[in-house]
Amino acid sequence: MKKRLCIIILSIVAMLVAVTGCSSQKADNSIVNAGTNAEFPPFEKLEGNGEITGFDAELIQAIAKAENLQLDFQHYGWDSMLNGVARGRIDMGIAAITITDERKRMYDFTEPYFEAKQVILVPKTSPVQSLNDLKGKKIGVQSATTGEKVVQEAFGKTYPGLQRYDVVSSAIDDLKWNRLDAVVVDKAVNLEYIKRLGEEKYKIIEDPAIPEEYYGIIVKKGNRELLDKLNAGLKKIQENGTYDKIYNKYFWEN
Amino acid sequence: MMDWDWSVIVEYKDLFIRGLLVTIELTVVAVAVGMVIGITSGFMRISRNKWFIPAKLYVDLFRGTPLFLQILFFHFAVLPTLAETFGLEAPDAMISSFVALSLNSGAYIAEIFRGGIQSVDQGQLEAARSLGMTYPQAMWHVVLPQAFKQMLPPLGNEFITLLKDSSLVTVIAVNDITYAAFVTAKNTFVRWAPYVTAGLMYLVLTTILSQMVSYLEKRFQTNRY
Repeated sequence: MKKRLCIIILSIVAMLVAVTGCSSQKADNSIVNAGTNAEFPPFEKLEGNGEITGFDAELIQAIAKAENLQLDFQHYGWDSMLNGVARGRIDMGIAAITITDERKRMYDFTEPYFEAKQVILVPKTSPVQSLNDLKGKKIGVQSATTGEKVVQEAFGKTYPGLQRYDVVSSAIDDLKWNRLDAVVVDKAVNLEYIKRLGEEKYKIIEDPAIPEEYYGIIVKKGNRELLDKLNAGLKKIQENGTYDKIYNKYFWEN
Repeated sequence: MMDWDWSVIVEYKDLFIRGLLVTIELTVVAVAVGMVIGITSGFMRISRNKWFIPAKLYVDLFRGTPLFLQILFFHFAVLPTLAETFGLEAPDAMISSFVALSLNSGAYIAEIFRGGIQSVDQGQLEAARSLGMTYPQAMWHVVLPQAFKQMLPPLGNEFITLLKDSSLVTVIAVNDITYAAFVTAKNTFVRWAPYVTAGLMYLVLTTILSQMVSYLEKRFQTNRY
């Protein structure tokens, strides 16, 4: 009996040691932890083999290379990424993050690296022509994104027709099954999804009333050192043509 | 950093009120439909008729897979495909939630039912039968009243579990209590206030539910000394 108890206690201790051993990896300061939400093609996407591809993924690799940063690039999910950067568990976040005043209170942003716009995705037969036409209709967005903000500003924060999903693809699924009347999301993302849904069945509406927005990379507020490096790297790759090369790879055909 | 900014709850109060109603609605419907499914398949499980073997399969399937997966499966796969086959509109997320939660609770209730009936000594049924009662009569007048007493505590547990697990429907954008907390937290960056509010709302609901169950338990208690 005593022997068995000993074995149990020993194995629990061994497990604890193993677990804490894993979490103490962060002590290595030379590695920069970059987080993303790899569910937002063409900006970031998780491939079957676990690799993260997309515009943001290639951009951050290029910046890291230009600045000699050791990069550990991981998928955390949108909310965990934002939270992780705010609390300093992750050094930076790059995930098509729109620069907004609210977010500026929580994070420091790099210079903008992409100009984006929220557009409305609807079935081809839909009578909707502008954001205002969506009043009273069911609108899908990704939670805590500028798409959600656009709809909230138009119809109120607690508008009953506004359905927030944790991932865009769920909203697209519900649009496909006619459970939603429209999905409001970044233009580049909607262009990617419309290819999968069938361009003959869906259309994209651009409302001039929706303002343009810019994407930036976030770091924890006050992390001047990393922010300067990222800005310098971004400038370098914009000057040497690497940025254009990546941009053309993902967006030129659109 | 504990951010107790309660003003965000006021800002998003409509979501919380709607969430409370939706959570209650989900639980009531799933308990009611789940009871009907559970009692039916519970009886099928104790029957020796081989035509009732699917009941075991149903129970195993729904107890053996996560509810979260069942919700996703019914919402994005089963129901749209069924609707398409019959030329109907895909039902909305609320319907998907009713279906997934009812079928899931039905499986657990079936097992509670079977266990309750089997906990009554076989001799009780035999005695009743030997007094000239038919099988249904013996079941109704002798076995079930005793079984019901045994079933109440686990049934109460199941209802409380169901109430809490209904929070999983947030993933298909159903506006329940958890959804309200999640939207508020994500939009405002205030984490403590919304999650604590939602937690308190669930606590109030589960407390009411467990009070109701313990009232019933007292009511049906026969072996008082």
